[in-house]
Parts: sequence; structure tokens; C-alpha cells
Amino acid sequence: MGASRGPRLSGLQKQVLSLYRGFLRAARCKSAADRRQIESIVSAEFRRNSNQVDRKNFLYIEYLLRRGKKQLEQLQSPNTESLSQTKQS
Amino acid sequence: MAAARGALLKYLRVNVATVQRNPSPFSLSFNSIRRCFAEEVRGSFLDKSEVTDRVISVVKNFQKVDPSKVTVNAHFQNDLGLDSLDTVEVVMALEEEFGFEIPDNEADKINTINMAVDFIASHPQAK
Repeated sequence: MGASRGPRLSGLQKQVLSLYRGFLRAARCKSAADRRQIESIVSAEFRRNSNQVDRKNFLYIEYLLRRGKKQLEQLQSPNTESLSQTKQS
Repeated sequence: MAAARGALLKYLRVNVATVQRNPSPFSLSFNSIRRCFAEEVRGSFLDKSEVTDRVISVVKNFQKVDPSKVTVNAHFQNDLGLDSLDTVEVVMALEEEFGFEIPDNEADKINTINMAVDFIASHPQAK
């Protein structure tokens, strides 16, 4: 298809995008205010890592993916209301 | 007399013929079921121009997009300056607009307004 020009995604990139999708889906199940907060934290985190992490640093990206999956599992639990973050100095 | 009998037989035959011309209850109900089914299937696919309008308005409402650049042929990354994370957000917004879930492998392929429209218009669950 000529219309589908654009970068081809690597397997790792697909996993990252699928994790991001998972977080946005999980956020839909929370209250409107929590949802907004979750979305802003999650998108800031993904964007920060996309800028800061070297795209060839596969080990670290895989570590972040595993950590993100764990966090997503916790967020998907109905008992979890929202995310919070602590500033690292 | 013979003429009267002939006329009577003709009349009767015509009568019988009209009875036979009536469709049987089975074929009537079969046809009506088929018609309902066909209408249901047709009704569940959205009109392509309506899908296009709704997709364009969703993309225009996306914060990072310059609404004047949004056209039917726009490519999310090349024309609208979005990255892959933004594209995920746009596709998720489209999911909510049309009330159905787009599986990951399909969502990864949606890179242009046109492809989003084609996918949604061919999806019977889109509302």
C-alpha cells in the first residue's frame, strides 16, 4: 500500500506501544479525574523515556517494559484508584 | 348449458390458480427473515463519508495537531508531525469515538486518516 509509508516498527517498539495502549485502556476504567491524572503521568513517563533512553540500549528498555507491565497489572486491579509519583532527586 | 359449464369450470380453475399464486407461509417468513437480516447487516456498517467527517473532527481536536493541516490524505507522522506515541493516542481516541476496540496488530498499521477511515468503515461493530 502506497499510503502506509512511514517508519517500520521494531518488535521492541511494538511492545512499548502496546504497553502504552494497555495503560490508556486501564485508565478508562477509573473515575474521570483519576483517568486524567493517570494519562498525564503515563504519557509524561513514556515521553521522557523515549527522549532520554538510547534506542540501542535494549537491556534497559526491556527492563522498563517488564517494570511497566508489573505497574500495569497493579493499575488494572479494580482496587487501584490512581497512580502517584515521587520525584527522584 | 355446455357454455355455462365451461364458464363455471373456467371460473373454478381461475380460482384455484389464484390460490396457488399466493406464496406459502414458509417462503413468506423465510423472505421476511432474510430481508431483516440483510437490513441489519447493511445498517451495521457506517457510511464512509460520515466516518471520514468524524475521524477528521477527532484528529482536529487532538491537542498537538494543527487543525489546518488535517486532510483526508494526511499521514499522522509525515504530515501532522505526530510520533508513534501520539499515534497510539489518536487511535485510542478513535476507538472511543466509534465505541469498539481496535486490536494491537491493526492499530499499528493505522498511520493515515484514510487508513483509519477504511478500517472503521469496514468494521461492523463501529457505532
